[in-house]
Amino acid sequence: MEENQYVVLKKELFNDFITRLAGIKKLVAPVSKGFKNFAYEEVSSGEQIALKYIPTILPAKKYFMPQNETLLEFNTGKKSNVEAFVEYEPVTLFGLHTCDIAGIQCLNMALSERPKDYNYLSRKNFITIIGLECNEYCDEFASCHLVNADFPSGGYDLMFTDAGEYFIVHINTESGEEIVTNTEIFNKAETFHLNELIKIRENKRKIFSNEVPIERRHIPELFDRSFRSNVWKEVGERCLSCGNCTNVCPTCYCFDIRDELDLDMKHGRRYRVWDSCQLEPFAKVAGGFNFRKERFVRQRHRYYRKFRYPVDKFSRFFCTGCGRCTRTCMANISLKETLSQLVRESEDRVWKRWL
Amino acid sequence: MKKPKIAFFDFACCEGCQLQVANMGEGVLDVLAAFDVVEWREVMSEKWDKKYDVAIIEGSITDNHAVERITKIRKKANILIAYGSCATIGGVNGMKNNFELDDIRKYVYGESYKFFPTELTKAVHQVVKVDYFVNGCPVYIPEFVAILKAVLQGIPYYVPDYAVCVECKLNENICMYDKGVTCLGPVTRAGCNSWCINNGNICYGCRGMLSNPNEKSARDVLAKYNIPIELIINKMNMYNKCREII
Amino acid sequence: MEKMALKYSSYKSEKAEIVDIKKLTENEKLFRVVLKNKGSLDHEPGQFVMVSLYGIGEIPISVCSSPMISDYFELCVRAVGKVTRSMHKLKKGDEIGIRGPYGKGFPVRILEGNDLLIIAGGLGLAPLRSLITYVLDNRRDFGKVHLLFGCKEPKDMLFSDELEQWNKRTDMHYSCTVDRASPDWAGNVGVITTLIPGVDIEPSKTFAAIVGPPVMYNFVIKELIAKGIPEQNILLSFERNMKCGNGKCGRCQIQNLYCCQDGPVFNYEQIKNLSEAI
Repeated sequence: MEENQYVVLKKELFNDFITRLAGIKKLVAPVSKGFKNFAYEEVSSGEQIALKYIPTILPAKKYFMPQNETLLEFNTGKKSNVEAFVEYEPVTLFGLHTCDIAGIQCLNMALSERPKDYNYLSRKNFITIIGLECNEYCDEFASCHLVNADFPSGGYDLMFTDAGEYFIVHINTESGEEIVTNTEIFNKAETFHLNELIKIRENKRKIFSNEVPIERRHIPELFDRSFRSNVWKEVGERCLSCGNCTNVCPTCYCFDIRDELDLDMKHGRRYRVWDSCQLEPFAKVAGGFNFRKERFVRQRHRYYRKFRYPVDKFSRFFCTGCGRCTRTCMANISLKETLSQLVRESEDRVWKRWL
Repeated sequence: MKKPKIAFFDFACCEGCQLQVANMGEGVLDVLAAFDVVEWREVMSEKWDKKYDVAIIEGSITDNHAVERITKIRKKANILIAYGSCATIGGVNGMKNNFELDDIRKYVYGESYKFFPTELTKAVHQVVKVDYFVNGCPVYIPEFVAILKAVLQGIPYYVPDYAVCVECKLNENICMYDKGVTCLGPVTRAGCNSWCINNGNICYGCRGMLSNPNEKSARDVLAKYNIPIELIINKMNMYNKCREII
Repeated sequence: MEKMALKYSSYKSEKAEIVDIKKLTENEKLFRVVLKNKGSLDHEPGQFVMVSLYGIGEIPISVCSSPMISDYFELCVRAVGKVTRSMHKLKKGDEIGIRGPYGKGFPVRILEGNDLLIIAGGLGLAPLRSLITYVLDNRRDFGKVHLLFGCKEPKDMLFSDELEQWNKRTDMHYSCTVDRASPDWAGNVGVITTLIPGVDIEPSKTFAAIVGPPVMYNFVIKELIAKGIPEQNILLSFERNMKCGNGKCGRCQIQNLYCCQDGPVFNYEQIKNLSEAI
C-alpha cells in the first residue's frame, strides 16, 4: 500500500462531497425505493443516497449499455443515407459495490473482443466509477467470495471503504485523482489510516467465505461433469421464463436489434435493446425451428455462460456473486442452491463409482 | 404513395380505445397525415360505402347481428386490425360466458328477453381473419403507432410472446409480489411497457395470456405467496374468459 | 443524452444495389448484388453477409456465388420472415445494406487434392453453391466431386438450370432425390441418405460438406461415418438466428461457440459433443 494513493474523507463532510461531486457532472448513486429495493438514480445531495444497500434492481450496466440504444439513423428512399452514432452521457457512478464493478469488468472484456463494439467502448470513457466497499455481506443471496469479487480489484477510479468515522479512499486512476483535487475536501491518509484499512480487510476475510461447498478452481470441472445433470431439469421445471434473472444480471449483454421508421416512412433508426436467452423466441429462426425450446436448456445455458464458457475465453467467471438473479426469481431458483446441488450430485456420482 | 383509407368500427365495447387516439395530443396529427380517415363514428359523421384499405375494429362479437356486420366489414377491408382487449381477446365482455346465456338475458332484459338474441362473446379473430392485434385495455398508444407503421410498410407486427415481467423489470419497478399484492404480469403478454405497474397499479392480464406459460411452476409460486389458484383464475377470467372458445 | 458520430461502427453497412432478380421457385428468389463504393465482397465459400433493409431489419444470408466472381455476388432468399418477405418485394435497382462477409466458411485450401462429397438438402444448396462453383472454377485442384441433392418436391428444386448443367458435366457426379414425386418425375424418391451408399469415393481422402434442414444432419452423418469418412472431414454449416454477426448478441450461440464467428461451418469432430448443435 502506497500512502500517496490513499486519502481520507470525514463522514461529516460526506454530504458536502456529494454536492460538490454532483456539480462536476451528472451523479448517480443507490437510492432506496422501499420494500428492500434499491435503484441507481440521479442524485444531487448526500441524503438521497442509500449507503447501506443491497444490490439495486438493475445493475450499473444500464449506464454502459442503455436498454434502448440507437446504432444507426437513416433516410429511406432512392438516396438513402446512413449514419452511425453513439449516444452517451457524462456521468459519475457513486457507491458501486465490488460485485457491480466486477460486472463492468466482464462487459469490458466481452465487448472489446474483436469485432469490437465501438458503441460500448466509446460510451464507457464518459463514465467515472466510484466504488463503495462492502465490509460485510449484503444478504444471504450474495456469493461474491466464491467468484472472487468480494475485495476491490481494479475497475474503478476511486474506492471508498467505510472506517467508522471516515472513509478511506483509494485513488486508482488519474481521473479519480482529479475528483480528489477538484472537490478539495479530502485529507491526506496517514499510516494509521492504512493500518485501519488492513484491519478492516483482515476482518473481512473472516466474514467472507465460500458460499457454496466447492473451491473456486474446481468450478469449471464441476460444470464439465454436469452438463447432463438432472439438476437442470428441476431448474427448468420451475422456471417461468420471465427473463428477470438475465435482465438484472450485471454480466448479461445479449441484445436484439430492431428498426423503427417515423410515420412519414422517410426517416428511421436502428436500435438495440436488451434481450434474454431465457425468453422462448430468443433462439428461434424465421422458419420456426427453436434451437433452445426447452426451459431447462435455456437455464442451463445461462449457468454455463456464467461459470464455464467465459473461463476459456476470458479466464474468469461471468458471475459476480451479486445475488440479483436469486433475489428477483419468483420461482425461487437460487444460484447458490443450484451450484450446491450440482456439487452434491457430483459427489454422489464419485462415491457410487467407488462403492 | 396514396394514403391508405382507414375506418374505425365499434362492436361491444366502451369505445375507450378509440378515445385513446383522440387523446394522443399532437401525435394524432402525424397519424392523420399518414392515413385518410373515411369512417369513424366517434369523431365524424361521414360514411364510406366502398372498400377500406384498413378497418380498425374495437369491441367483441356478442350476437348474430355483430357476426353479420363484422363479416361484411372483413369482405370490404384489405387489412383488418383488432383493436383493444374486447376485440383481441374478448375482454371484459367475455364475463358473460361465465353464465348460461338464457339466465344472463333474463337478468339484463327481464320478461322480454326472448326478443334479444345473444351468443357467447367472441374475440374478433374467433369470427373473421385478423391481420394485426393491438392488445390492451385501453390500447397502449406507442404500440398502436408501431402497428400502424407496420401496416404502412406492409410488414407483420409480432406481439411479444414473453411476460410483462420482462418490461416491468427493465422499468425497475418493485415487484408487486414483494409488496404483497397479486399481479398477472408473470402470465400476461408484454408490449405495454408495463404501463399499469409503472403507475402503481397491478397487471390485470388485459393483453392476453402467454402462449406457453409454465403452469405448474406458476401454481408453485402462488402457493409460495399463499395465493389460492381460484383467485388468479378469477382475475384472469376478467379479461380472458374467451380463450376457452376454440 | 448526447450523440456523437461514430467513425467506426460494427453495425454500419456498405451501400449495395440489386442488379438482377431471378425467381427460382414459388418461395425463393436469387438476388445479384453489387457493392457501390467497394470492389469485391472478397468472401470465402460458406461465409454469410448481414443484409439490411432499412426500416425493416437486418438478417444473415449466406453468399451463394463463387468467390472467383468479384464484380458481384448472389444471395438466394426464401420468403419466410419479415425481412425476407419484404426483400422479395424489392426490384432491380433497389438499394440494400451489406455488412460482411462474416464467419468461417469451407476451408477450401485444406480441401484441395481431396475428393468431395457435397450433400445439400433444400435451401442448403444455396451456401453450397458457393463451394460447388468455386470448386468447378478451380476444378483441377480437386479429386472426384459428388453432389447429392434432396428436396421436398420437384417444383422446389433450386438452381434447376445449373443442376442440369452440372448433371451433364463429366468431371462431376450428380444425383438427386425428392421426398414426394410429381407425375412427370422420373428420378429417385426417398430421403437423401439413400443416395450415400452408392457413392464411389475413397473415404480416407474424402471431405463431405453438408448443409440442410436441422433434421437432416444426424441421419446423414451416421451414414457418412458408416462409409468410413473421418469425423474431422465431415463439414457442416448451421443456420441460426443472428442479430449482430460480431459474436455479441448471443442468439447464434451453440454452447461456447458463436455460429457467426466460430462458424457457420464446423467440422463434425468440433461439435459432435455439443448437445445444442444438431
